[in-house]
Amino acid sequence: MDVIANQLFAGLSMASILLMIALGLAIIYGAMGVINLAHGEFVMLGAYAAWALQTYVGIGILLALPFVFISVAVVGWIVEKVVVQNLYHRPLDTILATWGIGIILQQTVRLGVGAESRFVKGPDILTGNTEIGPLIMSNYRLFVIVFSIAVLAATWMLMTRTEFGMKLRAVIQNRGISECYGIEAKRIYSITFAYGAGLAGIAGALITPLFSTIPTMGTGLVVDAFLVVIVGGLGSLIGSAAASVLIGEATAIFSIVINDTLGRIAVLAGIILLIRFRPRGLFPTETRR
Amino acid sequence: METMKARELYSYYGKSPVLQGVSFDLNKGEFLAVMGRNGVGKTTLLKSIMGLTDRCEGGLAFGDREILGLTTPQRSRLGIGYIPQGREIIPQFTVRENILMGTFARPDGKRDIPDYLFEMFPILKEFISRRGGDLSGGQQQQLAIARALAMDPKILILDEPTEGIQPNIVKQIEDAIVWLNRERGLGIILVEQNVPFARSASDRFLLLDKGRVVLAGKSDELTDDLVDKHLTF
Repeated sequence: MDVIANQLFAGLSMASILLMIALGLAIIYGAMGVINLAHGEFVMLGAYAAWALQTYVGIGILLALPFVFISVAVVGWIVEKVVVQNLYHRPLDTILATWGIGIILQQTVRLGVGAESRFVKGPDILTGNTEIGPLIMSNYRLFVIVFSIAVLAATWMLMTRTEFGMKLRAVIQNRGISECYGIEAKRIYSITFAYGAGLAGIAGALITPLFSTIPTMGTGLVVDAFLVVIVGGLGSLIGSAAASVLIGEATAIFSIVINDTLGRIAVLAGIILLIRFRPRGLFPTETRR
Repeated sequence: METMKARELYSYYGKSPVLQGVSFDLNKGEFLAVMGRNGVGKTTLLKSIMGLTDRCEGGLAFGDREILGLTTPQRSRLGIGYIPQGREIIPQFTVRENILMGTFARPDGKRDIPDYLFEMFPILKEFISRRGGDLSGGQQQQLAIARALAMDPKILILDEPTEGIQPNIVKQIEDAIVWLNRERGLGIILVEQNVPFARSASDRFLLLDKGRVVLAGKSDELTDDLVDKHLTF
């Protein structure tokens, strides 16, 4: 019983990280139809930004978050302006181009910072565990779970309760007519891409105490985030949230029932099966085609 | 004084020029009807005004500004309200959101929906919280007009606003267009297949064929002979 409770918590912790990475992907795909293969590298940049701020400036992860968000968002904004914006009518080429950008970012960090693993200290106020009976929960992981829910809520508010969100939803449904009513679609796309990148950056910064910070760290994470987006339904926020919990928990449970490797296979098989019967995911939405 | 002035307008989709040297003037508060058979470039003319074609050459001035170099959103903020063929309201938005969207083109940044819209089209008030996609064609057309008016435009350009709409609403929409022109002094460019309405409502007409202006003049000069020659198949 103790094992299961603790494993469920581990699954939830995994889910919260996946959610933050997947949210950015889902927004960028939902708004622009762009499959951003550089997303994992935005996560990695966020992690290195957190490391650099801690090592050279001496500010901890929590205080670094706004700076990380802004700096990775700026990188995303530049990538969108310079490359992606010219490829909106060539979706296949955006996949190749963003993949290339990912490789460039990865190699730049490898050359500039080095390939060895970097260590980032978690925040002091969040050390230790919270114990409820046999359930032992790391305070930092608890914080990440709460934070990811807050990010989800903030993103949802941004999309549904603000004028920016309304403009974005208008552009998603009909770009031409939106522009006829004063909406600068290009600007909306740039901001959306930058926001998605910024979210990836925050996710990267938050996982530094839990994962090793290396130039290739984003690659594995982004695969799982893609699975979340596909299972949740392309472009759906609620779908991404549900799918990240589903995949996080499934991974955690399978790995105690069987073992890590077989558990991974079982999760992937389950996803293939799900996509076979629900090809557009759990919560399909209208997206630009 | 002209509100809009087009000189030798060439407009392209890809490499093919759909408009080939179209010129016209729209004076302040004037009502211009654009007529012609299917496929002669009427819709393209309106799209060219909004900057929605691939490329456009020649001269197009709105007020005292040359607008061919401006983007679509910039043109809309100058006060050109576009009501496209097929209405193109946002189906997932409520009626209120669709109208509110019109205000995004206001240069003063105000977000108020004028009350007269609901007096003109009471059904929109009744259905204010319904999704645009759930309205009938005629209601959607009323919504599209309300959206354009919400931006407080200087001119309206309408592309076949009564096409495919139930007859009882057609009259309502036609009356609204005439009222906006006569009572609120809005300049109007109307693309219309319905000759009797276009002739009675407009001050002047523009007859297009194969991307060129074949005839232009005062609407009361548009005789049945001319209509037979240029507009019947």
